[in-house]
Amino acid sequence: MTPMTPGTAEFLLAFADDEHLMGQQHTEWIGIAPFLEEDMAFASIAQDELSHAALLYAIVTDKGQGGPPDDRAIDRLAFDRNADDYRSAQIVEVACTGWAHALVRHWLYDTAEELRWSLVARSELEPLRDTAARAAREERFHVRHADGLIDVLVRTPDSAGRLAGAVNDVLPLATGLFDPVAGEAEAVEAGVTSAPFDTLLPEWTDRVRARFPDIDIGAIAAPASAGRARRHEDFAALMARMNEVRSIDPTAIW
Amino acid sequence: MGRTWSSMHDFEVFLHGGGMVEVDDDMPDEYRAAVFRFIELHANSELMGGLTERDWIPRTPGLRHKMAVLAKTQDEIGHGHLLYMVAADLGVKTRQEMLEDLFAGHSRFHNVFHYPARTWGDQVAICLLVDGAAVPSQKSVYKDCSYGPYKRILKRIIAEEGFHLRLGEERALRIAQGTDTQRAMFQQSIDDWWWPALRLFGPDSKPDDRLARWRLKSEKNEVMRAGWVQKFVPMLHSYGFTVPDPGLTHDPETDVWTCGPIDWGPLKKTMAMDGPDTARRIAEASAAWETTRWVRDALDAAPAGAVT
Repeated sequence: MTPMTPGTAEFLLAFADDEHLMGQQHTEWIGIAPFLEEDMAFASIAQDELSHAALLYAIVTDKGQGGPPDDRAIDRLAFDRNADDYRSAQIVEVACTGWAHALVRHWLYDTAEELRWSLVARSELEPLRDTAARAAREERFHVRHADGLIDVLVRTPDSAGRLAGAVNDVLPLATGLFDPVAGEAEAVEAGVTSAPFDTLLPEWTDRVRARFPDIDIGAIAAPASAGRARRHEDFAALMARMNEVRSIDPTAIW
Repeated sequence: MGRTWSSMHDFEVFLHGGGMVEVDDDMPDEYRAAVFRFIELHANSELMGGLTERDWIPRTPGLRHKMAVLAKTQDEIGHGHLLYMVAADLGVKTRQEMLEDLFAGHSRFHNVFHYPARTWGDQVAICLLVDGAAVPSQKSVYKDCSYGPYKRILKRIIAEEGFHLRLGEERALRIAQGTDTQRAMFQQSIDDWWWPALRLFGPDSKPDDRLARWRLKSEKNEVMRAGWVQKFVPMLHSYGFTVPDPGLTHDPETDVWTCGPIDWGPLKKTMAMDGPDTARRIAEASAAWETTRWVRDALDAAPAGAVT
């Protein structure tokens, strides 16, 4: 069985959508982060996530054959699908306008993402394996970046309180990252990924507890699984912003 | 321990001999103040340039295109970051004081960043016309710069600005080859940004320019401005765009383009912090700075070594 089946494409699209929208959200912080180093850090992480998204979309567009990326085909997948056809988790769709929320989301997402890439590190799909090797190197730095800040911010009552509030708001959406996605079973069977992502939910939850030991994680209710089929209420505004220039003239190449 | 000079005359002899001043030198106060003001203005402008561009980054039409423009603006903020450190080392103001002066509207930044980027075309026009003016300006400072730390940082900045300019040129060309909608949008952006970018060079240099004597500038403003006109008029004409200068002339013998009379009124207004978008730009930057104060306060309160 060739690894690049329709189910695998669905599986990859969910991953790509998460990476794309996470990177998109990080782009909002350049120039208005708390200090200049953070402007640059968020911009750098955003570039990594957008790059992962482009590589994942490219695997879908070229059916895993490799070769030079077709930017127009990648952009059609990234920008032109109907809202119902996206498979992103709500944590990457929600607008986090406060920096505590943006930082907590960054930590929760990247901690999950690091685990996610580990599942495809030995994928039968060569370009995915190559992308995983690159992403794993980058993700270590992403998590370290968030950890370095949180290590300090939890020491002061005011900032610790802000982070706790953000965990309370963002964590329920973060668990949606582990919702099963269409095609995942097929991708496991084809050796594209080694196991369903939700098998790592306990490991991720342990890391969250260790990171925020003073917060009663169990008391924060996760919503019923949306199966990545329901968009967050902020999604429409996010897509409108992303497509503002593209929609001026759909035939234009910028 | 640095060097000392017994008088301004001796210091200027040192400068005229090609001497390079370093941060630990006991430089004359006037020189220190002038170098500081120059670098602070440059740093502020890099940062405000980033703020001018930032609004359009999330709306970039294309995934890999977005990575490129994000990297570009990241470079600009990074230039500000480096320049603030070089300026702070002069001991006049700390980085925090410089930023707070900027956000309070007490210190200056270049005229072009007092204007709003209203469309995606403006974003590209900035990358073409403004970066196209910044590169020769910075090269002229770098060429014979007497202040060592600034010269060393400029080398990197100029290299990166060269990439930005190429990004602007490539995108302008794509738009030129694009649809009527794209071309109309970009023509409007040229009309709006041509004069602000041209005025970035400033009025003609004075014969007794102290900054030239102290080797912080090595080229006259009017020479750089003329070079910019000579580069961009033929380029934009060849792309089928017009330049909004009714007094523009072309000498067929020498093939040289010369701009018409320049209205310096708008430049004076931006220098008085009264440009078209000055108030909004500063208010937004200031609000963001205040909103995230809690982060800086918490980091400041952390014991030494806690920040890893």
